[in-house]
Amino acid sequence: MSILETPRIYFTGQMTWDPIVTNNYAEFYNEDTADPAPPGDPVADFRKRAIAAVDPRNWNPHGTHRSTFLAEISGVDTGGGRDTSDPFVGAPANFLGMLVDAEPYGTFSSQLFFDSMQFGIAGGYRVACPRRWRAMSRYINFNRNSWNTVKAGIASTIWQTSIPKDCGLQLDPHDSPALQALAEALADDDVLGLTVRWNTYRTIYYDDPTIRTNSGGQLSIDAQALICKLNIPNSFQPNPARSELVGVIGLWRAGEPACEPGDRALLATLPNEVVATAFARVTGDVLAIDLGNSVSEVDAQLTKQDLGTLTVCAMSPDGASVVEELGTLGYSSYDRCAYLATSGIVELPLSPEAATLAAGAPLQVRAGSAVYLAEEVLRAAPETQQIIYLDQGGDCVQATLQVLSFGEPAGAGVTVSRYIWDSGDNSATLVDSAQTGADGVASFEVAPAGEGAVVQYVFTAGADAAAPDFDPLLTPYIYVRTLPADADIGAMEATWDNVYGFVLSKWKAMAPCMDNWLDLADPAQVHAYGAVLKKLTDRGNFELYRYMPVTRDMTDGERKLLWSFLDAPLEGAARPAVLTAEAGPRANRPRRDIQALSRLARS
Amino acid sequence: MIARRRSGGTDIGFETDLIIITPPAFRRAALSYGAAFNSGGLTMIRLQATPPTSVDDAIAMLQTAIGIEFGTLPPYLYAKFSILPGTNGAAVDRLGMIVGQEMIHLCLVCNIVNALGGTPKLVAPVYPCTLGDIGPPGGDPLMIHLLPFGPDAMAQGMAIEEPEEVPPYEVVGLLKAQGGAMTIGQYYAVIDAFLATLPASAWTPGNNQITDAQFFPGQLFAVNGYADAHLAIQQIVSEGEGAKDNPLDFQNELAHFYRFGELFYDKVLTKIPQEPGYQWGPEPLGVDWSAAYPAIPDPGSHDFSKDSAAAQSAQAACNAAYTGMIDALQLAVTGQAGQLGAAVRKMFDLRMAAMAALQIPLADGKSVAGPSFLYTPAASGASS
Repeated sequence: MSILETPRIYFTGQMTWDPIVTNNYAEFYNEDTADPAPPGDPVADFRKRAIAAVDPRNWNPHGTHRSTFLAEISGVDTGGGRDTSDPFVGAPANFLGMLVDAEPYGTFSSQLFFDSMQFGIAGGYRVACPRRWRAMSRYINFNRNSWNTVKAGIASTIWQTSIPKDCGLQLDPHDSPALQALAEALADDDVLGLTVRWNTYRTIYYDDPTIRTNSGGQLSIDAQALICKLNIPNSFQPNPARSELVGVIGLWRAGEPACEPGDRALLATLPNEVVATAFARVTGDVLAIDLGNSVSEVDAQLTKQDLGTLTVCAMSPDGASVVEELGTLGYSSYDRCAYLATSGIVELPLSPEAATLAAGAPLQVRAGSAVYLAEEVLRAAPETQQIIYLDQGGDCVQATLQVLSFGEPAGAGVTVSRYIWDSGDNSATLVDSAQTGADGVASFEVAPAGEGAVVQYVFTAGADAAAPDFDPLLTPYIYVRTLPADADIGAMEATWDNVYGFVLSKWKAMAPCMDNWLDLADPAQVHAYGAVLKKLTDRGNFELYRYMPVTRDMTDGERKLLWSFLDAPLEGAARPAVLTAEAGPRANRPRRDIQALSRLARS
Repeated sequence: MIARRRSGGTDIGFETDLIIITPPAFRRAALSYGAAFNSGGLTMIRLQATPPTSVDDAIAMLQTAIGIEFGTLPPYLYAKFSILPGTNGAAVDRLGMIVGQEMIHLCLVCNIVNALGGTPKLVAPVYPCTLGDIGPPGGDPLMIHLLPFGPDAMAQGMAIEEPEEVPPYEVVGLLKAQGGAMTIGQYYAVIDAFLATLPASAWTPGNNQITDAQFFPGQLFAVNGYADAHLAIQQIVSEGEGAKDNPLDFQNELAHFYRFGELFYDKVLTKIPQEPGYQWGPEPLGVDWSAAYPAIPDPGSHDFSKDSAAAQSAQAACNAAYTGMIDALQLAVTGQAGQLGAAVRKMFDLRMAAMAALQIPLADGKSVAGPSFLYTPAASGASS
């Protein structure tokens, strides 16, 4: 099952990130009301403040949110180990997405909106993947690159999406054995499509790998240089970050979550989480472990941490004692060279007896007496919706979680509990529980909040499970962002002053890159592009790469007001001298507390 | 430092004989479409060159190369701008990628000049023009026109980007191509060969370099010595023409010549098991030639005095944005890297101005004009 089966395709390279980060900070944005802060700040003043805050925090006020691969196919495995002779090797891996955090203040809700991803080229070897679900960031590892403490540079994360085979997925194998094998495997009724999983790590900012601190020093030098550029009149000065990347394309089977790893979760062990959560699968006589997100790089040369020889053990049902050592992984199995070769996936050959044992015994990865990874046998994972957007007063939706037992769908009757996680006091409050059906899936109704809010739900599987303590490496979770209805705004007269003051000025302030496309302060231009604007802001196009605003925080009321303006004839509109939101209904809205851990990565 | 992908690249040999005489087969194909914009028929760019003997000679040759790289942008942009919004997605994507890579090529050549201690100079051509082509023996040089999206514009793109050897890929259900040709790639080869002979002291690391820190991630890099310059030249030639006998470029994407070919034939260039390894089609690319503004060719030669004030104003706005872009770019390649962001912004302004211009009827009531791409510093209040 999964990418831990063969055939699979490896890719490596880099990934760029160009988000506007101004909305990461409460001084600039209220994530509950989805408004710039403070209310009524004129666009020009807001932009000046955003630039002034570049040193040390607000590193990309001119961002575009675009994220791209600079990557290529680096190897294949059709069951005989890594092969670089397949003609698909060397083909480009192309991805263009929009990086958006559902919870702007935090770091646990990153997602990539995209229309398609493509490996290879049209007419040649190719895997063409139209988007079915956003790619989600999961299992953030804050211990990955401890030497690189700039912004989120310390962390790595898993990204994943899956593409159903009946949704336009196209393989053009030609004479590539790997692609032929992949196409053949897709014919299996149990195979739902393909999964693409990748890991990003060692993120650098200002294109400067020498920065080592979050303020002062080289960071300040680079930030001040950026401020100088940002102050060049009528210029566009994005400042993308850049990460290393390894990835895998493999099979997506029934019962697997689409947008986060399934299989058997080998959880990082507290207190230090030296090795981050990994995923394992026994297929035939092979135990495959995905260490793509797990082992730290200890220096700027990206040397992998030498943990010594790792022993993979089959444990007693309570996990307390070793039943059998299944095999060992020497440093050469997980060092930098091995990591790049197979994107972090390692394999252990097993005897038939050991394979049988491993299939039903909890697994651990150890070094001597130290336990680095321990399997959580029963685990829930959101099936497809890790991040849900709702509208205040709108419809409820169902969130479904797949419960896995030893990596296979659990049967009926497993209790899954839902909690609300409050990062303010680090507490979990039980909301409700649900039982799995025969397919191992539990379903929860998710209702919009009574006002704009971002809520984090965490889950446990099993009737006896203790209340969770949120840790992205350990805890299944989903985010729900409820956008305020803003009915008062929707009911306003569709004058230019209202449209600009309560809708477009917010957009213009937060996203200076919009100046490249349209002057949102020019009523004639806005009206002239009314049809395009309506298409881009249509809630029905929410998943599209080009949906606007890219931050997905336009409320129903704002949309209604904007569309009313666009639908009406333009009459005598004049460009306002200043913003007019001061007296608006947003002025006294409460601000929600932010998540403490996420703050660390935003500082 | 970024990791640059190098697979699929081609090395460039030293060539001194730059006389090119074989007309490519696509010329016949283009003419079969009635490509009448060039009365002499399509030819390719030929450059007069003597192997350099000094750094100054090399810089002079590179300056010519800057002119060519820069000079390809307006015709490619004119074709792209003239596509009706929301149509011809494949064409928009391909032309956009070509334009982006030509911009990168321009910056890379400027980086080489700067690394040699020179001062790159951007000179805006006035179209139609030859971009320095000397023409075939006894024949006319290739005139480069501003053409709206259509077979003629794509054929012109193929002519500009034509590789040394055009593989005889069959056009399934259309035309059959054959024959060979030579290109400006050899011009770069001459420069490259000379640069290889220079001592390390000839290079000035870090001098006015533009990198990919803000734009064009993964493809634009500093030139600090011969190895970088060689890589840059490889990338420029490969992305334009493709590897010898191979349509793929330096990054295993299609080279410009073949992208234009896909548009021209409206066929996806497709791998096949038998020789020569590829064919045009059978899958169509999805080109709709009718989904383009009825834009006149070479608006710079058009007399707008008979057109409406709106049309004249639209042209002035286009020229102002274009002029501002050139001025900012000139500053960017001579040491003010921050001006690259100003140039990019001006390019977006040009795009917006072009979109407006293409919706204003001319006096004949049936055609429109895209940007003339005229450098007008006085009218635009520019400083240079």
